[in-house]
Amino acid sequence: MFKLKRTIEEINEKIKRGDVQVVTVEEMKEIVESSGLEVAYKEIDVVTTGTFGAMCSSGAVINIGHTDPPIKIHRAWINDVEVAHTGAAVDLYIGATQMSETKPFEYGGGHVIEDLIRGKEVELRAIAYGTDCYPRTRLETTLTKDDLNQFILLNFRNCYQRYVCATNSSDRILYTYMGKLLPRFGNATFSGAGELNPLVNDPDYETIGVGTRIFIGGAQGYVIGEGTQHDPVNGFGTLMVRGDCKKMTPEFIQGAAFTKYGTTLYVGIGIPIPLLNEGLAKKVSIRDEEIFTDIVDYGVPRRDRPKLGRVSYKELKSGKIVINDKTVKVSPLSSLKKARKIAETLKKQIAEGLFYLSAPVERLPLNVSVKPAKQTRDLIYVEALMHPAVTCSENDEIENVAKKIIEHSVNHVVVVDDKGKLKGIVTSWDITKAVAKGLKRLEEIVVKRVITTTPGELVEVASRKMMEHNISALPVIDRDKRVLGIITSEDIARIVGGKWRG
Amino acid sequence: MVRVLLRFPEKIAGKPITAEVIMAQKVSLNILTAHVNQQGGEMLVEIPSAEAEKVIEEFRKRGVIIEPHRPIKIDSEECIECGACYSLCPVDAITFKEDHSINFNQEKCLGNACKLCVDACPARAIKVVEHSGEHLRR
Repeated sequence: MFKLKRTIEEINEKIKRGDVQVVTVEEMKEIVESSGLEVAYKEIDVVTTGTFGAMCSSGAVINIGHTDPPIKIHRAWINDVEVAHTGAAVDLYIGATQMSETKPFEYGGGHVIEDLIRGKEVELRAIAYGTDCYPRTRLETTLTKDDLNQFILLNFRNCYQRYVCATNSSDRILYTYMGKLLPRFGNATFSGAGELNPLVNDPDYETIGVGTRIFIGGAQGYVIGEGTQHDPVNGFGTLMVRGDCKKMTPEFIQGAAFTKYGTTLYVGIGIPIPLLNEGLAKKVSIRDEEIFTDIVDYGVPRRDRPKLGRVSYKELKSGKIVINDKTVKVSPLSSLKKARKIAETLKKQIAEGLFYLSAPVERLPLNVSVKPAKQTRDLIYVEALMHPAVTCSENDEIENVAKKIIEHSVNHVVVVDDKGKLKGIVTSWDITKAVAKGLKRLEEIVVKRVITTTPGELVEVASRKMMEHNISALPVIDRDKRVLGIITSEDIARIVGGKWRG
Repeated sequence: MVRVLLRFPEKIAGKPITAEVIMAQKVSLNILTAHVNQQGGEMLVEIPSAEAEKVIEEFRKRGVIIEPHRPIKIDSEECIECGACYSLCPVDAITFKEDHSINFNQEKCLGNACKLCVDACPARAIKVVEHSGEHLRR
């Protein structure tokens, strides 16, 4: 008769005997659908999950050994990437997003880690202030992974349970950590492996906890705790993990560069989930259509970006989603193919007795959420500086517009239609030019492609727009292009001069 | 078909050059992409191979700068098959296969006239092919 529960010890016994029943979590879902939960639970001991994505909060600790005479490294660089000196004399941390000083945005810490894993030689440069016990002040040498005492991947936030889907409402291309986002909802991107993802399949962290053995970068590693920004209350759990880089393979760990964002590290992680009870068997049968995330507008450069709707991973994986009634192509940024390969590889290792399960020694917290940063000095947004715009209609004569400019002593008149929607902008300089050329109709001088801002935009961002386009004012508009006001370079100059009181 | 990128400098951008060439050569010119305004711009066109040389000459006479079409290549060694490029392609030259691997159709690809995907590749596996244009050597 089949017992209602199984233990990790029993499963490990079976792995040792070579008769463990292990399938990938995708296969498990199929079995549950075809044969029912009860049969699936009875037959399967372990399921394997996988994910392969850009995980920015990654890095590696290395220990290079002591030099003669010894050095207490103060600052160091590997292949021109600064590596933080985090502890005693010769321990260094290679942060994935730290960029090369000679090839920024193209080569960074993630690439250094990959190069070392590939067995390539890297160049170390270090300086120190010199002490009685560590007299040496300079070090230049080459290194390979074989020269290192330890080379440990130490990632403080990996393996997000799920992530948002990003899109862009603004009128320019955005280069983000969520990839390249085309203007006016031209595309969307998402991250995470959906139903293949480890934490999605164990949402109450019954088997994934401190001490859980995992597949990481092709080697074995461990969960060492919850990740930073762990937010299970909102379905955004994360993990802190470690793994031995010396045993990793570049197929499952790779440096990457996101244009105008920076460098990072793609990390492959696979976690086995032992089916200890029927509840777990049910949890791992979750499908992509049951996993939802928010579509978020990265066109608004704020912490709380507007949400434009909800979407399932099934829709995301189909390649197309609907945003505001428009069909938009959506890119995965995680490799689903590699995620599947990781789940397959882990399954094989367990079946062949190369990978044993471990029970967590401590559970991950379930009832915590993320706090925003404390800010002692608040930033200034456009809404604090904007003021009503002087407007005119498209049919106005140039003479009338000129009068408005004098009357209100402004340099910019915003052209609106009868609903108050933005149609263009005219400056006093345009008027001067029109008079010089003898033009009469406003239509002939109005600038129709107007650079705009919104009340929630940072003044710094608005100011950067003015500089980039060599202009001195931005109409402030809402989502429907209705003109709410205007902000000018003089307004910004005033706050720099300290006359602004907010 | 020969694919060429026509570059219109600012001083000729206001003239009906494309229409003139089509009428003079009676060629069925296929415009794939066009980004031209008063400041000039670019147009990617396909010309039937038989007429290509004459048509190109007609454009040149009118001050248009001709650039050979340079295709894009995805290095399968470097590619991590994430799909960051997929949603950027305006002509569906990049698609996914059933097993989530990337399928690239170079025939469909607009090459150097578009290159939206090139700087979006986290693995830097997408590149514009440097040398091409077996025709148009001049």
